[in-house]
Amino acid sequence: MSTTPLEIGADGVDVQQVVAEIRKTVEAKREQGAYHDARIAVAERRNLMNVKDDEAFIDFFLECLRDAVFVDINDFEIRERRPILGGALKTFKKVIWGLLKFYTYRLWSQQNEINGLLMTAVESVDDKYGKRVAALERELAALRANPPSDRES
Amino acid sequence: MAGPANHLAFVCPRFAEGVTVGGAERLLRNLADRAACAGRRVSFLSTCARDHFTWRNELAPGTRRVGSLEVTFFPVDEGRDVETFLRLQDAISRGRPLSRSDQESWLRNSVNSTALCEHLRTHAAEYDRIIAGPYLFGLTYFASQILPHKTLLVPCLHDEPFAYQSVLGEMFRVVAGCMFNSEPERDLARRLHGIEPARCAVVGMGLDPFEADAEAFALRHALGAPYIVYCGRREPLKGTPLLLDYFAAFRARTGRELKLVLTGSGQFELPPDLEGHVLDVGVVSEQEKQQAMAGAVCFCHPSVNESFGIVILESWLARTPALVHGCGEVLRWQCGRSNGGLWFRNYPEFEEELALLLDNDALCDQLATAGRAYVLREYAWDAIDRKMSDALARLGRA
Repeated sequence: MSTTPLEIGADGVDVQQVVAEIRKTVEAKREQGAYHDARIAVAERRNLMNVKDDEAFIDFFLECLRDAVFVDINDFEIRERRPILGGALKTFKKVIWGLLKFYTYRLWSQQNEINGLLMTAVESVDDKYGKRVAALERELAALRANPPSDRES
Repeated sequence: MAGPANHLAFVCPRFAEGVTVGGAERLLRNLADRAACAGRRVSFLSTCARDHFTWRNELAPGTRRVGSLEVTFFPVDEGRDVETFLRLQDAISRGRPLSRSDQESWLRNSVNSTALCEHLRTHAAEYDRIIAGPYLFGLTYFASQILPHKTLLVPCLHDEPFAYQSVLGEMFRVVAGCMFNSEPERDLARRLHGIEPARCAVVGMGLDPFEADAEAFALRHALGAPYIVYCGRREPLKGTPLLLDYFAAFRARTGRELKLVLTGSGQFELPPDLEGHVLDVGVVSEQEKQQAMAGAVCFCHPSVNESFGIVILESWLARTPALVHGCGEVLRWQCGRSNGGLWFRNYPEFEEELALLLDNDALCDQLATAGRAYVLREYAWDAIDRKMSDALARLGRA
């Protein structure tokens, strides 16, 4: 959730400075994990900026996926905000949840298992190909620094 | 030395009238109107198409008078190979290099009008200058080849894969000159196609100031909550899906009650969780659009494909600040130069900036005031008329 700490007065606004301040705020909040949120990863799918910096985006996307991968299947406190018949509605909800729990628990357990396996698979693919690309880049750099023709001569 | 520019022919694939909207079309129409008002004879050559998706010939061919302009409508060529066009267009979009013959095939199967080009050939002697645009159409390309020494291109260029095609680079180099909408657009064209400074002019378009009731739109539509607005074509290239995604994330993460108002043409898919929070009023009158702008917290422009940004200039005239995508060089440049808006590169920056605008009325007022003063100063018609006259006098020969 956004908590904007900036206080900007009305006089002599300089948008370059405002945007720079915003970026500082975003960086600070990013370090605190404020944006590790699957909803942001979804919203960023179509941002051109990510296409230009896809390496950073994949890291960010995986981070969000790690946070979102396991569905919370534990019990939760049932609340009812409506004052009229609030108590009765709350009891009704508890009964419904009690009836559904045995079924949804099994369902979500399976879902969590699948999510976890998929996450592991995506991470291992990322790791495997990341290493392979890094090795190829090192090899390419070495070849550029010392081309085969130079070595032969 | 350029000759007199008494009789001008404007060439544009669509003529901006009624629901036929589009920034480039509007810009060319307005420049033509101003040239006619300044005493030049102006012929506007366009096609019978109104819809930029289907390009069907909907208008009757022939010449009619529209205000001070003599407008001639020519049929769009039938039987173009749309499949080939889309295949090549897709390849370009994905950054695949095309051979020379494929690029030509792409342009041949784009929107063309043989009748319009034939008219230019047979009436070549009548026209002192031909002003053609925007750049991304077969019609503009082929029309510019007929009398290149008289042709001035109004490209409305964006930094997109199409702009990098070598055949289009040749078009930029063969014409007598280019009239750009903004300095970043000119710099992009020079960077991509190496056009000499002497053949470049930055003209743009003037805007008439207006006053709009800031409460009328929200009252009429019973919005009951602050809103952000976007006006224009709704399509992926204009960033509409990104705006919807960001807006949905903003509402979900901040829990703030905020609406999104959209005006303009084009279909888009509304995510289910935004039902009831997005008001799409479609194509509306100028007054309705201005009122929608005037009542908004900000005008949000998520497009990175702009050469000018008419709508953000209009939003400043409506005393509303702008929030634009930072990858859109022109819009960012307009905001930076005017102090009239903020720009974001990603969702977190969007969230912080939108929250700041929602919470800080004084900042909104300051941005809007600076933006309005900028438009009145830089885009008054008198200034634009002078720039266009200079360009017509300096570029091309009769």
